[in-house]
Amino acid sequence: MRHDFYLAWRHLRHHRTRTLILVLCLSLIAALPLGLHRVLDAGEYWMTRRAEATPLLVGARGSSVDLTLGALYFSEAGVPAIRMQEADRIAATGWADPLPLYARYRVQGQPLVGVTLDYFDFRGLVPAQGELPAILGDCVLGADAAERLGLGPGDTLASTSENAFDLAGTYPLKLHVTGVLAKARSPDDHVVFVDLQTAWVIDGLGHGHAETQMAAAQPDSPFGPATVRRADAGLLTYTEITPENLGSFHFHGDPATYPISAVIALPHDVRSATLLRGRYLDEKSETEIVRPLDVTRGLLQNIFRVGALFDGILLLVGAIAFLLVALVFALSLRLRQREIETIYLLGCARLAVLRLLFAEILLIALFAGAVCAAVLAAAAPYASDLARHFILS
Amino acid sequence: MPTFRILSFVLALLAAASAWGASAVGEHKLRIVASNYPLAYFAERLAGPWATVTLPAPADVDPAYWRPDAKAVGAMQKADLILLNGADYEKWLAHVALPRLKLVDTSAGFRDRFIRIESAVVHSHGPAGQHSHEGTAFTTWLDFDQAAQQAEAVAKALIAKRPELKTAVLDGLKTLHADLAGLDSEVKRITAAKPGLPLMASHPVYQYLARRYALNLKSVHWEPGEMPPEKEWTGLDKTLARHPAKTMLWEARPAAAVADDLSARGIASAVFDPCANRPESGDFLAVMRQNVENLKTSFQRR
Ligand SMILES: [Zn+2]
Repeated sequence: MRHDFYLAWRHLRHHRTRTLILVLCLSLIAALPLGLHRVLDAGEYWMTRRAEATPLLVGARGSSVDLTLGALYFSEAGVPAIRMQEADRIAATGWADPLPLYARYRVQGQPLVGVTLDYFDFRGLVPAQGELPAILGDCVLGADAAERLGLGPGDTLASTSENAFDLAGTYPLKLHVTGVLAKARSPDDHVVFVDLQTAWVIDGLGHGHAETQMAAAQPDSPFGPATVRRADAGLLTYTEITPENLGSFHFHGDPATYPISAVIALPHDVRSATLLRGRYLDEKSETEIVRPLDVTRGLLQNIFRVGALFDGILLLVGAIAFLLVALVFALSLRLRQREIETIYLLGCARLAVLRLLFAEILLIALFAGAVCAAVLAAAAPYASDLARHFILS
Repeated sequence: MPTFRILSFVLALLAAASAWGASAVGEHKLRIVASNYPLAYFAERLAGPWATVTLPAPADVDPAYWRPDAKAVGAMQKADLILLNGADYEKWLAHVALPRLKLVDTSAGFRDRFIRIESAVVHSHGPAGQHSHEGTAFTTWLDFDQAAQQAEAVAKALIAKRPELKTAVLDGLKTLHADLAGLDSEVKRITAAKPGLPLMASHPVYQYLARRYALNLKSVHWEPGEMPPEKEWTGLDKTLARHPAKTMLWEARPAAAVADDLSARGIASAVFDPCANRPESGDFLAVMRQNVENLKTSFQRR
């Protein structure tokens, strides 16, 4: 037996090009459907886990798919804004805890998401380095965002709107990176998180003015010079929040009217969830409530339909490839007629030829299997990324 | 010998387990942060042994003019409940990132009864720097009925967080409400004896006290430790001509020179401490009882 493999190995080595082509063809044909299923599984896991963890989602009435993709997976398309009072309304029902989030901007290609600090608790996000945002202008980076931007605690990051469709003037703000979150294997890994109030400053709803010091000699007040904030004269507005100018930052207008993208509602129990969903039955209301799991199930069904189609095609391609390989072997046997006759003349049995062939086929299959496994292993870390791209774009 | 070894091993395990159990109970304590002392006092009375209540503002700073730094905010983020006075008391709230679900606005229940302050002067005192009293009057707890409502809001938040403590918290609320109601009826009784008695206040922090107990109160803008300039004294004389007050209420005992100049004008100084920060001795109730006693003396004068 060892001799069979030795002869087969020498033969394969002698016809290197042919062997290489065969191994590559076979390994790719095996790797393609396996890899595709890995990607689909990763996508399913990634989407389902996220949707399962997000019981209810309230956003602008319209496409529930866009709302879910925008608020859970931070798709580039984004979602139309609703008002902060939506979160207050949910809190006022006493049925659910609201988690407002504002995902309008992107910063250097990464989604910039404004959340309340509760979001980190809810998603189980903890800083691997540094701290969570504390002061206006602070941000914390998801693990992948930190890696891609090459930033860590203590660095700064300029917020500029890169959305071509976003014509509204935004407030350029230098964000202070306070920490990097531990990898969560979820869409949160790609995000630059800021506090909701910081997001509103970027939105231009809050700003800081330089204050003018009035003459110290003015005796209108008994205990020292007065400081007056002058709204006129278009004074310098700060683009970086520092401990010195933090006090001058203020918001204009009613916070209840401030924009958010969606509210994640965490109902206290099943009954509360039903009651809350009942609140949004009115077709004329500007907001709607969706169950992300229902939405993603619908999406995944479509994706799996495409996957099944792919499987069918690949099965056909596989069958054709198998026939071609068989043909190659048949042809090579004919070419090796003289060699086989020599083996007979040497006094070998007919079986020996078959064994030699079998050894060759086995070796090729082994090589192909190894290459296939290597390809899959190399591609495995990108499966969820691929799935993300596949599903979100 | 092996028996002994096994036994000691088991004992060590038991000790470790009980230590772990004890620390688990310790961790189970509610971490409560209060933005001023009255709220901290309410929380201490209601949650008693099940909570650790912290007041992040340093002892020598009026919590109304305190601003948390990143470290203080980080500590607040780790709390289970953050008790806020509301009524625009926490000016820093718009500048920090906090878990909103843990914030408890204790004055939200009487938001429509807030007193607006118009045209206030901007001034400065102490290390906290300049401030003004424009906006909303925030010394809500000097109306003891409002204080009772704030205590109730604290109780509700505690029960929502720890339903198993409901009966204990409600028992605590009952006695706290009784104490506050005692103060409330006592001040009502005192002020009813001489309705409309003119009074001066050294600092505009007694708006809710004046409203609840129908005090005829006019305010200057002085500090206990600082001598007001001449202009303030002539202003006071002008006010006194129309408003013949015999008492000035102070947040703390005024400097002797100021008190002397006042008594030369026939005005006695009485301390009515809002007790926004933790007192050096006694507690909220003790300070308020002393305040009421001081007020009583003022009303009994002549
Ligand atoms: Zn402004």
